Amino acid sequence: MDGTSGNAQAAILDRLQEIFRAELDDDDLSIGMDTRQADLKAWDSLAHIRLVSGIESEFDFQFNLSEIEEITSVRQFVDAIREHLK
Amino acid sequence: MSEDAARSGARLPVQALPWLPRPAGKMRDRLAALPADPLQALNDLRALAQAGWEEAELRQLGRKARGILKAAPPSFAAAARKQGLAPVHLLLLSASTANHLADSLIGTAIRFGFLLQLTIAEYEEPEPWLERHRDELKQDPPDFVLVASDNRMLRLAAPLGDEEAAARTVEAALAQVMRIAEVAGAVTGRPVILQTLAGDPDAPQINMDLGLPGSPRQLANEFNRRLASQARQAGHLLLDVDGIAASVGQGAWSAGRYWYAAKYPFAVTMAPLYADHVMRIVAAQMGRSRRVLVLDLDNTLWGGIVGDDGIEGLALGTGSPLGESHAALQRMALAYKERGILLCVSSKNDEAIALEAFRNHPEMILKEDDIVAFRVNWDDKAANIKAIASMIDLGLESFVFLDDNPAERKRVRDALPGVAVPELPDDPSEWISVFQAAGYFEQTSFSREDRQRAGMYKANARRAAQLERIGNHDDYLRSLDMTLAIAPFDQPGRKRIAQLISKSNQFNLTTRRYSEAEVAALQANPDAVTVQARLADMFGDNGMISAVICHKNGKHWEVDTWIMSCRVLGRRVEEAILQHLVTEARAAGASELIGRYIPTARNGLVRDHFEKLGFTKAGEGPDGATSWRLVVGDYADKELPMKIDVAVSAGSASAA
Repeated sequence: MDGTSGNAQAAILDRLQEIFRAELDDDDLSIGMDTRQADLKAWDSLAHIRLVSGIESEFDFQFNLSEIEEITSVRQFVDAIREHLK
Repeated sequence: MSEDAARSGARLPVQALPWLPRPAGKMRDRLAALPADPLQALNDLRALAQAGWEEAELRQLGRKARGILKAAPPSFAAAARKQGLAPVHLLLLSASTANHLADSLIGTAIRFGFLLQLTIAEYEEPEPWLERHRDELKQDPPDFVLVASDNRMLRLAAPLGDEEAAARTVEAALAQVMRIAEVAGAVTGRPVILQTLAGDPDAPQINMDLGLPGSPRQLANEFNRRLASQARQAGHLLLDVDGIAASVGQGAWSAGRYWYAAKYPFAVTMAPLYADHVMRIVAAQMGRSRRVLVLDLDNTLWGGIVGDDGIEGLALGTGSPLGESHAALQRMALAYKERGILLCVSSKNDEAIALEAFRNHPEMILKEDDIVAFRVNWDDKAANIKAIASMIDLGLESFVFLDDNPAERKRVRDALPGVAVPELPDDPSEWISVFQAAGYFEQTSFSREDRQRAGMYKANARRAAQLERIGNHDDYLRSLDMTLAIAPFDQPGRKRIAQLISKSNQFNLTTRRYSEAEVAALQANPDAVTVQARLADMFGDNGMISAVICHKNGKHWEVDTWIMSCRVLGRRVEEAILQHLVTEARAAGASELIGRYIPTARNGLVRDHFEKLGFTKAGEGPDGATSWRLVVGDYADKELPMKIDVAVSAGSASAA
């Protein structure tokens, strides 16, 4: 991974951090690229949709239905966001 | 940046709440800059909430408010109430998903000056939920229940073309909602908010469907029509979701993929609009709806500047699209007057020239007589609005100010944060749709007095002139030839009594709110003494202006509620009502009257009410609430400057 894409990834992760705290209603939550849905009790199916809607509104694009179903980790969110922002 | 966008003529959709000023900056940064003191922070959030934030940011605001309230000490509620932030507890019942609406509702509530506590029952039929939680609800009843029914909960379906089956289907759905309303109303003892149905976006629909029995459109339409009328009859409140959906378009309202993915009842982006409508109803029911529309003149009521262009040079009425736009605005104002809204004028102008336009412009729709108060001078508009408020004796929170000039709007918004000042597009032909969408004049009931209100305020202005002429206040009161008609609560008066109880904020000793159903129950309660009073004089009928509820408590009659319209302040009506209460108490063998004053941000006017009436102070609570007693035997009857007619109901006669 080159430096620019690493920076872009970090910038997205920063914004995701805020969205996760808001949508999972936990101000102390700290996420990383390797955080998975299975790791967070609050990240249930309804929270997942709130995350999707929060991310769509923050980054101003729409996920595909298949992405909504398939994403189960922060890394997948970051990758999908980068794909949509291209 | 956003303000430029609004000004450049880009039309904002209704769900962006276009009547609110556009927000400055990012919510995240604004929240990070909040002070640590919880009360100060909530006040700042309230100011922040006055802008048209989009859904995600409104939710951040609501979440912050929720966090502050959760961490605040228990004494906090009283302090917040003194600042005009009233706690409201809402129970939301939904068969679909609803938790994602919580923070939007909380964020919107604070715009209206409410600290919202929410209980949400989602994804479940309301009836079993209510049954399961009956005890908790009895213990801590919410102020409002919102039955957020939707297509999925009611499942309206009937064979096409079968009129009887269609009627049965609608009937069954109605019965279900009314049953929920009845259970919720009985458990909580409070008014219930019922929803109309937005059309089902997935259902086939062709032009003839509105008249085709069993078509989804016919079923929903019939359901809505019947629901609205039953809600009105039963004293419930109506949230017209179908109307809201129509205002943005059914396609935009629909949750689409969010329904498939998570059973959201409508699109995420619509939450701010939905929440705004919910809070309008809550505010109206809590006596916080707006009642006064202050209008600017030049380039607002008419196109052009009357002082420069002359009457003949104004754009008003037929002949130009601009003139038609301003005439339409005047028609809108007149229609609000018919609903009991008081129209006033505040304008920087020469008064004689402005009045000449009212009198002599052939296409003026508003006449001089439609305007309750004119403030036409070169003074600051905020000062003029304040002057109008004291002239007609209503709080600034009742005011809406309509002005084409962004600088004047900002000035009034900054100086008088209680006044609602709608943002307006540059083009006057677009003002009406924005203004109407704001829903400033929400009402939850309509009574005869509403239509006559403007006339009553004008009569008051004539009384003021008479007082000025006579000078001596007692002579003036005698000259008015007043008749006070006193009666216990009865069926014909019920609507107006409930309205007084829900709307009065200033002359209101305890600010306890009762629904129409509760008022009806009091009427039949042998342990309650109720008083309604109407005042007429030589200038006209003031209508029903006072309501009192007493609980007998054996020999110690307790005044639960004492409300009077501020229109009749200084007329010694409260003394006459006390005299009536004492007379009733004597006849029933009671020994004393007990009064209570519970302070709010708005009822400082009656802090000394009981003292002035000759009660002695019996106690004072930490929140400033006071209690008072009057020994019935110590009261000496007074000579009052009015004729008093007492109607005795069968009930109170037998009780005596």
